[in-house]
Amino acid sequence: MAKLILKKAIPGKPGISGASLDRIKRLLLGQRLNDGLIFKIFTYIMLVSISVLYLSPLFYMLSTSFKDISDLIDPAVHWIPRVLKVENYTDAIKGLYYFKALGHTLFMSVSAAVLQMFSCALTGYAFARLHIPYKNVLFVIVLLTFIIPTQTMAIPLFVLFSNLGWLNSPLPFIVPALFAQGIKGALFIIIFRQFFSTLPKEMEESARMDGAGALRTYWKIMLPLAKPAMLIVFLFSFVWHWNTYFEAALYLKNETFLAMSMQMDFMQGRLNDLTVSKDALVAGQFDMNEPIKMAGALLIVLPPLVLYMFAQRYFVEGIERTGLVE
Amino acid sequence: MSGLNEGTPTNKMSLKEHARQKRAQSARSALTGYMFLLPWFIGVLCFMAYPMIYSLYLSFHKLEVSPDGNGLLYTFVGWDNFKYAFLRDNVFPIEMFNFWRETILIIPVTVLFALIVAILLNQKFRGRMIFRAIFFLPVIFATGKVLMELFAQGQGDLPFAEQYDLTKIIYDTFPPALAEPMVGVLNKIILVLWYSGVQVIIFLAAFKTISPSTYEAAQIDGVTPWESFWKITFPAIVPFIFLNLIYTLVDLSTYSFNPIVNHILSNMINLKTGYGYASALGWIYFVIIFLLVALLARVSASLNQRKG
Repeated sequence: MAKLILKKAIPGKPGISGASLDRIKRLLLGQRLNDGLIFKIFTYIMLVSISVLYLSPLFYMLSTSFKDISDLIDPAVHWIPRVLKVENYTDAIKGLYYFKALGHTLFMSVSAAVLQMFSCALTGYAFARLHIPYKNVLFVIVLLTFIIPTQTMAIPLFVLFSNLGWLNSPLPFIVPALFAQGIKGALFIIIFRQFFSTLPKEMEESARMDGAGALRTYWKIMLPLAKPAMLIVFLFSFVWHWNTYFEAALYLKNETFLAMSMQMDFMQGRLNDLTVSKDALVAGQFDMNEPIKMAGALLIVLPPLVLYMFAQRYFVEGIERTGLVE
Repeated sequence: MSGLNEGTPTNKMSLKEHARQKRAQSARSALTGYMFLLPWFIGVLCFMAYPMIYSLYLSFHKLEVSPDGNGLLYTFVGWDNFKYAFLRDNVFPIEMFNFWRETILIIPVTVLFALIVAILLNQKFRGRMIFRAIFFLPVIFATGKVLMELFAQGQGDLPFAEQYDLTKIIYDTFPPALAEPMVGVLNKIILVLWYSGVQVIIFLAAFKTISPSTYEAAQIDGVTPWESFWKITFPAIVPFIFLNLIYTLVDLSTYSFNPIVNHILSNMINLKTGYGYASALGWIYFVIIFLLVALLARVSASLNQRKG
């Protein structure tokens, strides 16, 4: 940084007086370092270059998904394909069983996320605000459930769910969510606990004095205040359920219930089968190329992406306001 | 007040009464508290405690399909599964060693990256909201299979790393003992970039806990921004650095695509080893994670104590 200043401020402008040199220095460095021009430029460069790293896979997916084979091979075509090949998408939809999987996964993710949101809010509130003997011991259990890898419990849970006859159904995702467990349930409890403990105590006290019971106070006064935290938890939970691969692969063994995250693996096989039935050839080998794969990938991430685009503003603001940590 | 009425018999009665009522009230409120926790409690029993105990039980047994074809046969084998993991299994200890050697390097790099990003995003500048929206994208995608597909095609690599052959530069400048893990981290830079979303959020929230007036006061006193970062911001966020270290550790060790997890899964369906052995592996893995988390929590707590 210091070198940069020297180069820019002093040798570049040799004949300036002390006062204007001072002004330039202030313009470049600012009053408090972080409002100076150099710092601003540095910030923008850093942010833009990292943003490019985050966005480029998305753009790569988008652009490749519309390419046909000649565009894909042609090195002159980098980002913008010469013709938009929409058939990639129709093929991908067929290969993914897209609409069936969409319905199933949406149902699973939304219901699990809603249940987790309410059950974890209840638990988090209890941990933050209610009088509970041995609260600290119980909270250590919450922390413990957070660090236990799912893999340690995968086998017993698999046996449990298969004995209950829940395999190949959304129940292994939905029922634990009802009881504040499930994917990252402990994290959500911690988030709600942090949030509720930042709210002023007077609110509950005045509600109590007006004669409201604990449950009523929670439901009518506290929960509505927790909207920013609820939004964040819902979004996280929805996305993590949508993306879940390990659990889905463990519990969903046939095609009665389809988890979107797994469908990519079956695309090739299904498209092969379709080729067979259409052309009545012996060995159907569908030409599964990159663009079709990317069209499929984009279709898979589309619902969470659309949700994020809508919720993004509240999400970012919510993080500021939740006091996620305290 | 109490001093005024002390000693009178009627008041002693009411004091006792008062205490009893207070106890009853506290019991009632405790009951309410437990009612609120009831769903969670059921959840922990069914989906945590039961599986944990069952998997611990499994890890000391060998499981076979019983000769009549239905049901499973449990044979107690003591510590055999655990011994097998370290002495006979020629994949597990090596994978474990490699995984932790890399992970222990990746964790601080991830947290440092998250901290830098959070500091940048915390500045006031035009278009801050857009950048924030972009920087939270990894939170949405990072867990997905799709991302792995993209990474497999080299999307997400650092463009300049290949262009300038960074690997070679590192090997030329640093001694091999240092260069090897550095290159390892460089190859896993994707993880650092895409698994730091939640950590950035935690840091941003942590910055909000420091009141702006502290900075103003420091500025009036002529403290430079550099000093104010180290004297005000940094001490305030130290606990969150540890929180993030723990989060990153847990996150990286449970994500679905890590080699240990795959090894456990492959042993689960392997007839020769089966559920019993896979459970033992799961427990070894958990104990290591637990010890690391406990260590971090310990260091964090002792730092806090010294400060107080």
